[in-house]
Amino acid sequence: MNEIKKSEVLLGIVMLSAGLLYLFLTMNLPRKGFVDAAFVPYVLALAMCALGVLQMLAGRRPSLEVPSETDAAAEGGTADYRTVLKTLGLIVAYIALLDPIGFPIITAIYLFVQFIVLTPADNKVNYRAYGLIAIVSSAVIFVTFRYGFDLLLPAGLLAGIL
Amino acid sequence: MLDLFLQGFAAVFSVQIFLLIVVGVAVGIVFGAVPGLTAVMAIALCLPMTYGMGPAAGISLLVALFIGATSGGLISAILLNIPGSPASIATCFDGAPMMEKGQGAKALGVGIIFSFIGTILSIVALVFIAPALAGIALSFGPHEYFAIAIFSLTLIATLSSGSMVKGVFSGVVGFVFATVGIAPVDAIPRFTFGQVELNSGFSILTVLVGVFAVAEIIKIAENAKREHGALVQSVSMKHIKGFGFSWKEFFGQLPNATRSSAIGIGIGILPGIGAGTSNIISYIVAKRRSKHPEKFGTGVIDGVVASETANNAGIGGAMIPLLTLGIPGDAVTAILLGGFMIHGIQPGPMLFITQGVLVYTIFAALILASVIMVALEFYGLRVFIKLLAIPKHILLPIILVLCAVGAFGLSSRIFDIWTILLFGLLGYGFVKAGIPPAPFIIGFILGPMAEINLRRGLMLSDGNFLGFFTNPISGVFLILAIAAVLWHIVQAYRATPPRVVEV
Repeated sequence: MNEIKKSEVLLGIVMLSAGLLYLFLTMNLPRKGFVDAAFVPYVLALAMCALGVLQMLAGRRPSLEVPSETDAAAEGGTADYRTVLKTLGLIVAYIALLDPIGFPIITAIYLFVQFIVLTPADNKVNYRAYGLIAIVSSAVIFVTFRYGFDLLLPAGLLAGIL
Repeated sequence: MLDLFLQGFAAVFSVQIFLLIVVGVAVGIVFGAVPGLTAVMAIALCLPMTYGMGPAAGISLLVALFIGATSGGLISAILLNIPGSPASIATCFDGAPMMEKGQGAKALGVGIIFSFIGTILSIVALVFIAPALAGIALSFGPHEYFAIAIFSLTLIATLSSGSMVKGVFSGVVGFVFATVGIAPVDAIPRFTFGQVELNSGFSILTVLVGVFAVAEIIKIAENAKREHGALVQSVSMKHIKGFGFSWKEFFGQLPNATRSSAIGIGIGILPGIGAGTSNIISYIVAKRRSKHPEKFGTGVIDGVVASETANNAGIGGAMIPLLTLGIPGDAVTAILLGGFMIHGIQPGPMLFITQGVLVYTIFAALILASVIMVALEFYGLRVFIKLLAIPKHILLPIILVLCAVGAFGLSSRIFDIWTILLFGLLGYGFVKAGIPPAPFIIGFILGPMAEINLRRGLMLSDGNFLGFFTNPISGVFLILAIAAVLWHIVQAYRATPPRVVEV
């Protein structure tokens, strides 16, 4: 319970900080009158700050708020953040390399590595099957969208051939 | 009306649209059935394929996906005792015990037929209510639209989570992201940091795909290493005639189905809550009204009927505010709204006047998709059961790639793919913090509607805020919004122990 309360207070601080950041950005907007383009952002920024404060207060008071999904998630054992970070890293690399390397190649590589990263611990990694699925999926998606739906996905290194 | 309906049916019975609806329902059923895949994902993934189609074909595909995915949840609820989506939680209560008793085929048959009945009844409600409501909404001005947007936002923020603070915060943050870009009325850039790409703001589709698909994939990565393949039990179809239940049982369930449809339609119309809530409420009501409430939970068809009729009845209900006012009630209708906009259609009362044929094509597509849903689930059940066994670690990365393709397809920019990742991280953060994502989406969509109508309304009433309260319709909605918040605060401060849904 103590842990939950602490994280609820922490969430309140995050909410308040987000509100203050938005308030700061809003204060830099040019003003033309009382109700102008900055009026709604001011209302929203103040609302965010107020909600942040309320969340901090609520976190300090037990049984006021109904426990939410976080508690349920905590029951299922600790989350495997290493896999989450690896997945995020892969997605970032995938998007960054999409243009220079091109959709067909980078998608096949991304899928292959991502399959391996997400394979459950008690499953064997089947490199040959993964490679085949990755290449076929990438090719099918590229061809379908490029030629079927006229979507010019970046061809990158293969630009001369495709 | 009949004339428009005939034109609508003529459109959906063209070979192209008919095939699209069949494919849409099939893909939708798979996304509904596989736990972790959602209706929003299904629509998000298929949306880029519709970019090049006409509006009638594109929208027909999207509503077919919607119907398939809403109904598909019953397959895993009954066979695996895992709801494929929140809309079929209550289906597990009696569907899974029926499966254990060896009545799996009967449970599936009941689920399929009453899903169909729920859908059809809700479409009937849609066809009769929507044009009338659109007629009333034609006279709405900025005051009314502002008030309705605020009312809808308040309702979703207070209803979607146990914590009102988190719900409202989620809605406000959605609104905050919608303020990025060129401001309405004054036309000055806000929060764009000099980036030209941000001038038009974030696309609703990148937000939805990020918050609901990418976030889901990141979340599943948390438990991927511990994942075990789902054990799908086989259903014996031997000695099963038709749908596995008798006419007597069917007629005995009609009062229950009618009541559950009414609950599903009513809850579907309200913004903020939808099939995820109505299936449980209608189950509880069915149990209370039943002559044998003690049998609920042991495997009676009444429970499956209540849940499956109600969740599918939400389809027509949710389409009513979407088509007549342009207000989505939940994430699925929000992405449908995004799809409409991509095809240059602005839902609202004018749609019924300027695009009458299209509106009735949508109605016809909904009806046809329901019929195809029954046929596919009846004849193709074995195929869908096989698909439940596709490993997630293969499926999810491919879905992510398709999300990226969809985002890129919006305007051929890598920038939009970065945006889905940004919103994916935000959505994941929300899940970890226990903040409901639905108000965020609705805030993002209704925020600009509220702002622009606030500005216009103030211009009309010479800067006087009282105009919003003296206008009768907007006054009522604003007072209702305030009442909803106050009621919630009173509830919270009574400091009652957490309410647990009694089943």
